Amino acid sequence: MFIQLSNIQRLYRSDEVETTALHDVNVSIDAGEFVAIMGPSGCGKSTLLNILGTIDRPTSGQYRFAEHDLTTMSEVMLAQFRRENLGYVFQSFNLIDELTIEENIDLALIYRKIPKAERKERVAAAMDHVGIAHRARHYPSQLSGGQQQRAAIARAIVGKPRLILADEPTGNLDTENGAQVMDMLQRLNDDGATIIMVTHSPSHADLAKRRIDMLDGQVVVSVRNVL
Amino acid sequence: MLGTIIRGVARQAQRHPLYVGLNVFGLALGIGVFLTLALLVRYEYNFNTGLADIQRVARVDAHWMMPGVEAKEYPESTFRSAPFLRQDFPEIESSTRLEENGVSLQKDGHFEEFDEGSVDPDFFKVFGVALRSGRVEEALSQPDSVVISEGAARKIFGTVDVLGRVVTLNHGEKNYAHTISGVLKNRSNPDFLTRYDFFMPITKNDEKQDCFIDWGGDCGAIYLKLHKPSQIDVINAQLEQFIKQHAAGTDDFSIGPHPERTFALSLVGLDKAHFYDAHLQYAQDAINQNVVNSIALIAALSLVLACVNTVNLATARSALRAREVALRKTFGATRKALFIQFMGEATCFVVFSAFIGLALSEVLVPEIALITGKNITIDYGFVFKILPIIIVACSVLNGIYPAVVLSGYRPSLIFAATRMASGGRFAERLRNSLTVGQFTIAVSLVICMLVIHHQTEFLRDANCGFAKQGLLIGHQISADTLKTQKDILREIRNVQGVDFATFAVLAPNPNRKSRTTFDYNAPTGTVRVHVLTDTVSTDYQKTYQPVLMAGRWFDLEHLEDVLPTGNGKRQRRTNAILNASAALKFGFHNVEDAVGKTINDGGGDVVIIGVIRDIRFESPHAAVYPGIIFFNPLSDNPLYLPIPAIRFHGVSETVMKSRLEKAWYKITPNMPADFEDINERLSSYYEDDQRLGKVFTEGAIVALMIACLGLYGLASFAATRRIHEIGIRKTLGATGGQVIALLLHGFLKPVVLACVIATPIAWAIMRNWLAGFDQRIALSAVDFVVAILGAIIIATVTVLGQTYRISRAEPARALRAE
Repeated sequence: MFIQLSNIQRLYRSDEVETTALHDVNVSIDAGEFVAIMGPSGCGKSTLLNILGTIDRPTSGQYRFAEHDLTTMSEVMLAQFRRENLGYVFQSFNLIDELTIEENIDLALIYRKIPKAERKERVAAAMDHVGIAHRARHYPSQLSGGQQQRAAIARAIVGKPRLILADEPTGNLDTENGAQVMDMLQRLNDDGATIIMVTHSPSHADLAKRRIDMLDGQVVVSVRNVL
Repeated sequence: MLGTIIRGVARQAQRHPLYVGLNVFGLALGIGVFLTLALLVRYEYNFNTGLADIQRVARVDAHWMMPGVEAKEYPESTFRSAPFLRQDFPEIESSTRLEENGVSLQKDGHFEEFDEGSVDPDFFKVFGVALRSGRVEEALSQPDSVVISEGAARKIFGTVDVLGRVVTLNHGEKNYAHTISGVLKNRSNPDFLTRYDFFMPITKNDEKQDCFIDWGGDCGAIYLKLHKPSQIDVINAQLEQFIKQHAAGTDDFSIGPHPERTFALSLVGLDKAHFYDAHLQYAQDAINQNVVNSIALIAALSLVLACVNTVNLATARSALRAREVALRKTFGATRKALFIQFMGEATCFVVFSAFIGLALSEVLVPEIALITGKNITIDYGFVFKILPIIIVACSVLNGIYPAVVLSGYRPSLIFAATRMASGGRFAERLRNSLTVGQFTIAVSLVICMLVIHHQTEFLRDANCGFAKQGLLIGHQISADTLKTQKDILREIRNVQGVDFATFAVLAPNPNRKSRTTFDYNAPTGTVRVHVLTDTVSTDYQKTYQPVLMAGRWFDLEHLEDVLPTGNGKRQRRTNAILNASAALKFGFHNVEDAVGKTINDGGGDVVIIGVIRDIRFESPHAAVYPGIIFFNPLSDNPLYLPIPAIRFHGVSETVMKSRLEKAWYKITPNMPADFEDINERLSSYYEDDQRLGKVFTEGAIVALMIACLGLYGLASFAATRRIHEIGIRKTLGATGGQVIALLLHGFLKPVVLACVIATPIAWAIMRNWLAGFDQRIALSAVDFVVAILGAIIIATVTVLGQTYRISRAEPARALRAE
């Protein structure tokens, strides 16, 4: 098994209230899968994705990723794990305003020990792949939403991650741009990338190989799409 | 409107106490320092200007152009010229001579010292000083009259109501009873007359002194009041002719057939004298204008720094308020209303800061008065004149950016923006360059502070050619009989703890100096050198411990070692010792070469028997004067006004002084003993530089503090703004350590750039300053490195807390924060 979440629980405590975001979640995902997570607002989709992406930690439970047990890793080791294994696509793109598109994409490589020349080559290839090479020197604010999201996808794939996490990647885009992004994710999956995507759109969810429905912090259904 | 503004300010103070605190405290500090230093600068620029018609009052300066040494100007001149000046120049409206003397008041066996000025009856006319009691026409009419200052009256009598009372003053070892004929009115502006406690008329007896009749003498200063200020130049143009006409002659009182070759007079306007005198020998109260200007610069800089801070914080802060502005506009606020709101808020902050700043200067002014030794007080008339200007200027600076930029935002754009605005790239560049500016100033000041500190420390410990430790110098002895002098010397030699004692005419910070021109007939021609003469008695070598570089010291076995006369021309060959400067000026190849050579000044030949290392009895700024030393073992003749010195060990200085006093008063009960150590004797030469050092230290601390406040504010602002960016970076695999490195690099870049800019600036300033010293340190890279490392460390510590906080941010939470 490639990814194994066992009995994952996530509580948020503030001074007065304790909220259960995830309650006893068990999910297994194989290498090469394309999984869509669906559910109403506040059901715990994003929390689950954040835990999968190691930028949030479960309160209890176990998270295994291939040969790693991520629940026991230190912060520094997790950071290293992320940069080598994961790629992210966000709903609001999360590009850094002060950096150019090129520099934003390079961010995914800059924390690894990769020679500058090779980094440059890979960034160029990733930009070509998503069709924004002509915007390399521009700042995010100078690009349309669709272009920004394509840049974000380029950043997600430039490091050749084993898992791509996408948090409502089409949420801020119009239909046409949304379709383009989905097409791109599908192609990445076809090329062998494992993808986990949170979405509100049933039609986009149908394009994945598997669909997980969540409600009130729990997984209710997990079905394989017949393509 | 006012309500909204005040509510806005109160809410900001409540919600962002850090921002408001930094803003108010930083600005208050800047204003406080500015006010304090402005008062100091004003004191110096106003010096003497309170005297009536000061533009047309001039002092007569003497210039001596002696062979072998630089021409020198003195703020005093011979009184011989006074009647001739009156007679030759109808431009003179009134004039007075002023001879400064020390007088003392004997009280319970102790001497209290006062400054006395002997003047002519026209004194009041020349300076326009007023009396609070007594009549200016009569105040100086009787030989026993004395005019007293308010301060001295309070000190001696405890009241200013002292007209007609008798005060007994000791001068020249005798007590004289004087009747108080006037009490001076206090003048609010400082001037050179402020230091005098008493004024007395010059008496017929005084006028018998050599310096009143000798063209080469100097008793004190002559002040002339002219009809018009421009007449100063008119008279100056005629003074060479004046000297040719009156000072030429071959008698004892004239300066030879060509007096104009060595001697000149000039008039100096009193309104300029305070700064002008800084380059003169023996000028009192003078201060280098550059020092005053650099203090003014520090004052201006501290205000600018503080304003920069608030501007910086305001632009950073205003970006965060963009949403508030957008909302207000959506609900109908006009641009004008927003402009007024932001300006109003800024003014509120500035006014508040200004009052805290004023409170701060209440604390700082007495401190500065203590450091500088100047009588500076807070003059509220002045403060309330400049404070409103500061408030308006700071308010505009502080409010203009948010008022103009923010009120111009289009609400839809603000709402559409997904991220917090940073005020754009321009604002960021502005903030960075302002931070660079602040640290450039702070680092320059720190470097200057370190260099000044090292130089003053160096001067304190510098080799002055004699052993400073364990040496005490006494009061000049006016007793002129051989017996009394021998008695005094014997008596202080017998004091328990005294190792050696001696008499010499010169001492550290000499009272009077006499110079002569000597000729040396070198194979290549005659070399003339003007030298400072000293006559020393037995045990001088053991007491002062000068360093003999060549030849031998005086002894009683060689008959010709002993100066054959007390005063007047030598009748026979005499041996003498030169200092190294004199040996150099006479053109000897080395000091050994000088030994055995003969020089002549018109009296008996002088044979050089030794050369000593230069002894520095005067300012470290000026080169040591060529010197010659004669020997008078007090066998036949007394010395003229000798100064005693003793070397002691084994007891504390205080004990030694009181033992010496006891022995002293046995012989001369009417003369103060006044034994002082070297630091006390020389303090007047070193005080100015030490003060400058202290002012720079305080300035550097304040500048650094303000700059760090600004940096801290920026870091905490960046902490809010960059949390999202850091979230992305961490999601992409950056570790906490990498994030800290990235943030520190960003925060410290302007600081490092500032260090790069500050280094040549401070280097140039300090090189220039050090060039004003004859004795000086070399500029050392260590001071620069220490200042730069110090600034970087302080800056790092300042931002470390914020940096650490941001780097710890959890990426999931940070990404949600948008």
